[in-house]
Amino acid sequence: MNAENSSAVPATKPKKMVSGNPADRYSNAGPSPDPWEQCARLEYGHDRSYAWTVREQVIATPPEGRTRLEEKILTALATSGRTDAGLAFLCQMLAMIGSAQCVPALAPLLRAPASAEAARYALEPIAGPAADAAFRDALSALTGSAKAGLIGSIAIRGDRSAEPLLIALKNSSGEPAIVREAATRALARLTTFKA
Amino acid sequence: MNTPLPFTRRQFIQKSAVASAAITVPFILPSGLRSQNAPSKKITVGIVGCGNIADSHFPPLLGSPESVRVVAVCDVDSVRLAAGAARVNQAYGNKDCQTYSDFRELNQRTEIDAIFVCTPDHWHALIAIDALRHGKDVYCEKPLTLTIAEGRALVDTARKYNRVAQHGTQHRSMKRFHDVAEFVRNQGLGKLDRIDCFIPPNNRFCGATWTPEAVPANLNWDMWLGPAPWRPYNSKGCHYNFRFISESAYGQVTNWGAHYLDIGQWALGMDDSGPVEVEGHGEFPSSGLFTNCTNVNFTVRYANGVPMNCRTRFEGGGTVRFVGERGWLDISRDKMSASDNNLLREMQAPDKKISLPLSNNHHDNFFECVRSRQRPIADVGLGHRTTTVCNLGQIGMVLGRKLKWDPVKEAFIDDDVANRLRTRAMRSPWSLA
Repeated sequence: MNAENSSAVPATKPKKMVSGNPADRYSNAGPSPDPWEQCARLEYGHDRSYAWTVREQVIATPPEGRTRLEEKILTALATSGRTDAGLAFLCQMLAMIGSAQCVPALAPLLRAPASAEAARYALEPIAGPAADAAFRDALSALTGSAKAGLIGSIAIRGDRSAEPLLIALKNSSGEPAIVREAATRALARLTTFKA
Repeated sequence: MNTPLPFTRRQFIQKSAVASAAITVPFILPSGLRSQNAPSKKITVGIVGCGNIADSHFPPLLGSPESVRVVAVCDVDSVRLAAGAARVNQAYGNKDCQTYSDFRELNQRTEIDAIFVCTPDHWHALIAIDALRHGKDVYCEKPLTLTIAEGRALVDTARKYNRVAQHGTQHRSMKRFHDVAEFVRNQGLGKLDRIDCFIPPNNRFCGATWTPEAVPANLNWDMWLGPAPWRPYNSKGCHYNFRFISESAYGQVTNWGAHYLDIGQWALGMDDSGPVEVEGHGEFPSSGLFTNCTNVNFTVRYANGVPMNCRTRFEGGGTVRFVGERGWLDISRDKMSASDNNLLREMQAPDKKISLPLSNNHHDNFFECVRSRQRPIADVGLGHRTTTVCNLGQIGMVLGRKLKWDPVKEAFIDDDVANRLRTRAMRSPWSLA
């Protein structure tokens, strides 16, 4: 113990200024994290409050604001350090509001085995030839189970221009049974498909 | 042991197609099984999913050995699978029950007549559709399917293959519910003002975060997830609790709503249609493993102007209440009450103008229909319509805005986001195609 110090007169603390503006009382909290960036780095099991905030925004935004919102999701998709859970979440948001605008960003993800599931989740409900082409293009990149899933999506979308590719897959001895059977079912569905 | 049928599945389907073309009387389904024409023939059953829901099916199925025989069980949890098989073998005093960890192998057994689907909701459609394609009759637990698109696909498949397909909403086979629905349908309450459905709360809770865990050696987690989006295993998010996670189910909206909203549909005569509008304002957890609504609050409205409300009741359990100009009727599994006891007496009066079909036992009704090829009391067609009402409520609460619904086209009017929520992409390799 330091006697000299203990007998010293304590320094006077500066008086805290109280602002009349309620918002100023929270100025020490610092800037809020960007919820979009937080979503991209979401981990399974972690607090998903930021994702909830973004989800609420996606749901509540009227049609005229969705293009801008889609751009924000695509920006978030490109966040460095994006996690698997983050990718899955962002693709779930695109599954609700995504348009042809997001196909160029999703197409490469659809071709990569690690991201194909999430990308397919986002792309399957997006109507139009651009998304159709992305699905057909990914057929040459994926194998096995992922390829069967891709074929299923093509059938659900009703892309009849994929029929030649599907016939080839159905008859290919180089493909595993899971792919050939998926192609067979897809062709049967396309025959009776109604938009 | 059961004797294999004298023809293959493919022959059976060909025979079915021929029989189907010859049928002119509605609602009579062609028998695919030659032996079913003999009333003494035992109906052979396979059970897919040996957990909580199957618990309620084993006793009646194993208790009718003279007419029904469980020959196979399937589960992706080897502990549950072994327990299910042991239960069957103990009842029959043998070791004949076949076990499967993949429903597709079970469905390929040609000597099985009917499949009971007792899995988590996200699996219902795919397992039932595969069984129907293999010529099986199907008893599918409620809710019939997870999404509206799955329900339509399931009904279309049942019709295409002319199979008997029962929805596991057993209130349809309880006289009390029948009597109330029939009474309301015959204007017993006068002009109907509204229907109030109360459903129990989500009864399990977990924190705002959770930790991925190692998958138990007895569980095939990949197969358990099946078409649902991948997530790491956590013991609180698997058996039973799956119903609180929206990737697998819609909580009590589909768990109990499938029962009580179903009686509303029946009383309104909406078995082949549905509401035209929905508006919901539920409360959802903003974090944590469980994602489904903790405080359900939605209203669907029918073309005749009658609203059906669905609310969480935190104490007191589920019930459906019909409110009309002559008073109200309240009915649950345990009791029935009315604003005036005279209404209860009037309900028992014979010779009503509109008579609803009567079944006193949901299993018996299913097996009778397997033999007679009639459509069952809770045919999948009406099961799909009821499950759609549950889905409308869920989508209405998720979006939090009033939505217009076209029950003929089975589509929302002028709301692209709502329409996208009628379906979802399935995880590879699974597909509705």
